[in-house]
Amino acid sequence: MFNSLRMSMGWVHTWMGLVLGFVLMICFFFGALSVFDREIDRWAIPDTRFEPQPMPSFDEVLKPVYEQLRPDPVDMAATERRVVGSLPDPETLELESLFAYTTHRDPVLLIGGEFAIPNQPIDPTDDHQHVHGRATVNPATGELLNDDALKIGSDWFYPMHFSLNFNWMMLGYWIVGLAALVMLAGLVSGVIIHRKIFREFFTFRPWKNLFRSSLDLHNMTGVVALPFHFFFAFTALVIFASNIYLPVTHTTLKPLHEHHEKLEAARTGLPHEPAGVPATLASVDAMVAEAKRRWAQRDMAGEVGFLSINHLGDENGYVSIYRAGSDRVALVGEGIHFKASTGEVIREEPPRSAVSSIDEFLTGLHLQHFEHWMLRWLYVFGGLLGAVCIATGFVLFVEKRKARHAKTGSQGSRIVDALAVTTVTGMVLAAVGMLVANRLLPADLPGKGQWEQIAFWSVWVLAFLHAAWRSSPVAKARHNPAWREQSLLLGLLSLSAVGLNWITTGDHLIKTVFTDTYWAVAGVDLSLIATALIAFFAAARLRSPVSEQKADNALSRNKQVNAYD
Amino acid sequence: MTETIWLIAAVTAALLSMSWLALAYESHWQQVFPESGTLPNRRRLKLSAWFFLLLSAAFCLNADHPSMAVLVWVMLLAVAAFSVAMILSHRPAILKIICLPLFAAKA
Repeated sequence: MFNSLRMSMGWVHTWMGLVLGFVLMICFFFGALSVFDREIDRWAIPDTRFEPQPMPSFDEVLKPVYEQLRPDPVDMAATERRVVGSLPDPETLELESLFAYTTHRDPVLLIGGEFAIPNQPIDPTDDHQHVHGRATVNPATGELLNDDALKIGSDWFYPMHFSLNFNWMMLGYWIVGLAALVMLAGLVSGVIIHRKIFREFFTFRPWKNLFRSSLDLHNMTGVVALPFHFFFAFTALVIFASNIYLPVTHTTLKPLHEHHEKLEAARTGLPHEPAGVPATLASVDAMVAEAKRRWAQRDMAGEVGFLSINHLGDENGYVSIYRAGSDRVALVGEGIHFKASTGEVIREEPPRSAVSSIDEFLTGLHLQHFEHWMLRWLYVFGGLLGAVCIATGFVLFVEKRKARHAKTGSQGSRIVDALAVTTVTGMVLAAVGMLVANRLLPADLPGKGQWEQIAFWSVWVLAFLHAAWRSSPVAKARHNPAWREQSLLLGLLSLSAVGLNWITTGDHLIKTVFTDTYWAVAGVDLSLIATALIAFFAAARLRSPVSEQKADNALSRNKQVNAYD
Repeated sequence: MTETIWLIAAVTAALLSMSWLALAYESHWQQVFPESGTLPNRRRLKLSAWFFLLLSAAFCLNADHPSMAVLVWVMLLAVAAFSVAMILSHRPAILKIICLPLFAAKA
């Protein structure tokens, strides 16, 4: 079919890149936003605009909060379908385990737990016999925060980049996983077809024609950030490999997995099952103090990142305390486990093995719990370079074919161009549109988060309809005016978001940068202003309509450029 | 505070390194010094570039835990390379200043 390896790689690169490029755009852009998900949360939920705090006292602050925790109604309904008979009144269910989780960027604390249920499962092999509850707490006061407010950063943009927020049969995860795999293939095939990697490493010639300058930018953004692109696609697959993409421990090897769990419990001394004997809870604060003392002794003084209690209220209950990995590329670790009823140490986890350390580094570099603001911004930059690489790939696809399609009457380039507008400017419009909706909708509106999601999808669909409606010039080898129009709209919308934040909360940039510094909100506002400036600049550059001569040039160029056919 | 100083040093070293690496190519040298004719000392440019590349890695290692430093360094190289490419395409004369102390005098 192909005469050379380069040509066959070119085919793979072009067509797989086109089909899954739309998904990769979403992964890169929302992945870049996820670097600052907690900060976007602060912008979107003004009630939580206070400084990050370490894990509060369990005995004094958190213990009474868990007493207020109730099962999640959605999980109640889902569990009811899997068990015999109806579930008891949620008010009467008791917690069997609990957790609290925080990072160095969280002013609020995420808590949750599992409520035991007496019902038998319909499927005897179903061992998931509990209902979950989750809440957000102000750690300073112990007050439960309104969980109706959508955390736009960490509960919408962040899951968007790995699941497309498309949870039906986990299809979103699978589509993103396939896209990550194709991305790895795209990187390898890209390197093979790109002949002058080093000679053109620094080459970008914006004065050349659109095809050539886009190719320069495509190559450069792909090559300069090649390690970033490779490691993020690869670690994305590593993170989900064991529980979603290759879940052998919960399918084929389930009996072995369960046997291993019991053996491990025997080895570590952390009881697998409750004893059935009620017991009280000793001071958890004393256990935290002991954990911190042991970390300091190992020259790893740190804060608590994750705290959990298993078999709550039972003689076999134990408290696990994990150190936050803020100072290195790690998540939480260095776990120390205590007997819940007495507070004595059951087990201190030994240093990680080599394999475990590599796994921790690979997942840690992607999930970035570290406290390093410069590296965070470098990651945003890497993500945006990835987005530019894919966007210029779309431009190349269209520029290379539109003249030929104009001659043959094909609508191919027109469709791809409309989809490209939708996934480039349209996607950013949807994200900024959601922030605007967040500031326009009243804070106490019931189901506000739902409305924000509706706003997000509506803006995106409208952007697609607009791009498709305005795309007819592409079929005549000209430019789609939707690129410029959506850029203009994006500029206006971004500035409105900053203005609306000021009007509705009183937090303007002079306040958040100078007089009452709060970088989380200032950073989002400044990024919105930067987005507006870039969008207006792009719109200005796109102002000049394509002349007949340029269209003719495109036609003649098409005869010359056949590198990827 | 010392971390910030090490990181600033790492950024500077990475930018210098990438600038010299770019100038070691005839086409980019011509962009920056159109009047100077051919590239004077390609070997010296390349050696200095590689030396500063290693220097920026050393600065990163001084600033952070090694696991973090390696990420900062790799990402820094991407930003530095991209910045140099943008300077070359929009304001190549800026690179003249960067080269002056070492090479322009000989050009």
